[in-house]
Amino acid sequence: MVTDSWRSIGRLRLLMESLVSKDLKVRYKRSVLGFAWFLLKPLFSMVVYYFVFTKILRFGGAIPDFALFLLTGLLSWNFFSASLSGSTSSLLDNHRLIRSIYFPRMCLPIAEVLANLVHLIFAMAVLEGVLILFGHLPGLSLITIIPALLLFSALTAGAAMLVSVGNVFFRDVRQFIEVLLLAWFYASPIIYPLDSIGVTIIESPGLVQILRFNPVAGFMEISHSVLYMGSWPPAWCWLSLGCWSMIFLAAGVMVFRRAEPTVVKEL
Amino acid sequence: MAEHGQILLADVTLNYRLYHDRTVTLRETMLNLLNRRTKRELFTALDGVNLSIAPGESVGIIGANGAGKSSALKLLAGIYQPSAGRVEVGGRIASLLDLGVGFHPDLTGEENLMLNGALLGLDRPAMVDLAPGIAEFAELTGFMDTPVKYYSAGMFMRLGFSLATAVDPDILLIDEVLAVGDAGFQEKCYSRMFDFRKRSDRTIVFVSHDMEAVRRLCNRAIWLDSGKVRMDGDVDSVMSEYLQGTHEKHEAASATPREWGSREVRFDSVVLRDHSGVPSRTFRPGEPIIVDAAISSSLENPVEGVVFGFSLHRPDGELVIGTNNLEMNQPLITIEGSISLSMRLDLEVFEPGSYVLGLALTDPVSKRDYHWQEYFHPITLLDVRRDPPVKLTSVDWSRN
Repeated sequence: MVTDSWRSIGRLRLLMESLVSKDLKVRYKRSVLGFAWFLLKPLFSMVVYYFVFTKILRFGGAIPDFALFLLTGLLSWNFFSASLSGSTSSLLDNHRLIRSIYFPRMCLPIAEVLANLVHLIFAMAVLEGVLILFGHLPGLSLITIIPALLLFSALTAGAAMLVSVGNVFFRDVRQFIEVLLLAWFYASPIIYPLDSIGVTIIESPGLVQILRFNPVAGFMEISHSVLYMGSWPPAWCWLSLGCWSMIFLAAGVMVFRRAEPTVVKEL
Repeated sequence: MAEHGQILLADVTLNYRLYHDRTVTLRETMLNLLNRRTKRELFTALDGVNLSIAPGESVGIIGANGAGKSSALKLLAGIYQPSAGRVEVGGRIASLLDLGVGFHPDLTGEENLMLNGALLGLDRPAMVDLAPGIAEFAELTGFMDTPVKYYSAGMFMRLGFSLATAVDPDILLIDEVLAVGDAGFQEKCYSRMFDFRKRSDRTIVFVSHDMEAVRRLCNRAIWLDSGKVRMDGDVDSVMSEYLQGTHEKHEAASATPREWGSREVRFDSVVLRDHSGVPSRTFRPGEPIIVDAAISSSLENPVEGVVFGFSLHRPDGELVIGTNNLEMNQPLITIEGSISLSMRLDLEVFEPGSYVLGLALTDPVSKRDYHWQEYFHPITLLDVRRDPPVKLTSVDWSRN
């Protein structure tokens, strides 16, 4: 069958590499600042949030170097939200391609996530440098960011597959994702910590308990602990991240595979 | 498992969900669920198709629009999965369903080749080896570091075609794409496909409305009609049945042909002939259409000033041309008893295909319609590809 040539891991890897490098090349064509945007975007939102929270709402005083704390969370969130909104249209945008040659279509949303992951890794490296500059020295725990990133990417890829398929059937998904991401942002420990940095912001332990069920809370708290604090993340973070990433990845792959034959015809 | 170049379809059915309005929103689905309108309207593009194509065959799939030709090709390419039945395709496939679709406008020709090679499942070293040949065949060697958005449509298609056929497949699937590009490049495409066909183990499946192209490229034809194989055999017999069948279909559709008038003067019979006088419904370019009409008058006195006109419509009813002897300043006709008239139409055909010829006998002075036959005589205007495309008439060498 046709799919035979896709049984080779090497070819799949080449396809992923090609799609990701295309994405990276194309994204900054005709842009003056180019690749620097991967840092500038979270930096700008950091400035906005910093101003609003410390100058207007007078919040954030309890967290030392609040700007850096914000930046840590915003980078990770930026990866997640950019991947989701980007992959929403990844199948629709490529409908002619999908309808004219066979290739594993799952690669399209995954490539979107990986391209954003490349950005995140660069951004995190720069952030780590800045953190060290301001005296937030990393600990041995820094290496755990690697498995954490891996798991979080799996989670994001699963979600990306779900939204890319969903948007083919219901164009509402695109609008819905925007609203969802806005609510999700404030429900996640990005501009505030739960228990990762030893500062209690949320008084009610019940609310903290509820917020821990948020699928992205685990990774956000891990990045706060590991990058910003240089400490070991709380155990629940790993449990949450591990479980949610398996759930999302499994659901994404399953739904995508089931829907794929229909999706091709619906495009 | 199918061997290389072999294609097997066993009881293959392909269904689509049908929408009357393709924009589906969540709200509609919710409403449909509430109304318990859960039954979906299905459209069967292919209906229990059995097919076996041996390595080395070149097969043309013909049929009307919506007969399932393109669906069949997409199944073979692995783009669609059958709703029921089994599809087995052996070996590497190259599909020319839509050219240059994987190209990103901002990437250069070279970058696009590498990306598309990966999409086609080629290894990087293989693609690096192929790239110069692809560029050369497309006549774009000097343009490979130019972003393809600066290419003309023709350059774009040329690159698409050379890429799609460069991979040395066991099976080549082609869907009408050859209609693009300039004549010179089209011939080049054909010769590449002929080279491909000459190799005994390579299989071609070709979908086209262009009967002449099918005849030229294929040795076997399959006629699909409403998702079923209506006929399968050698090109000439299938094609003549098909052309006849489309005519019968036109004639059977009672809504299409219309006939009215007082019939005081009427067509008793109409025969369309080719230039050699043989009754025909298909005409090659440059070939006149001769309309032999037996006309009779039931009136006692000779009828003077009769206008004999014709109209040519597309099958969908759009008028293409129409005129009559009055408009063309030709003598009007006098009819007494039974006479036979001959009208010779010389057409220059820009768009080959199916048309319907209508005829009329009228008297514009007294505003009388004697006999109209509108959408009445289906004809097919063929497109000819000459083989060889160029003929040498003379050549001279001289020394100045």
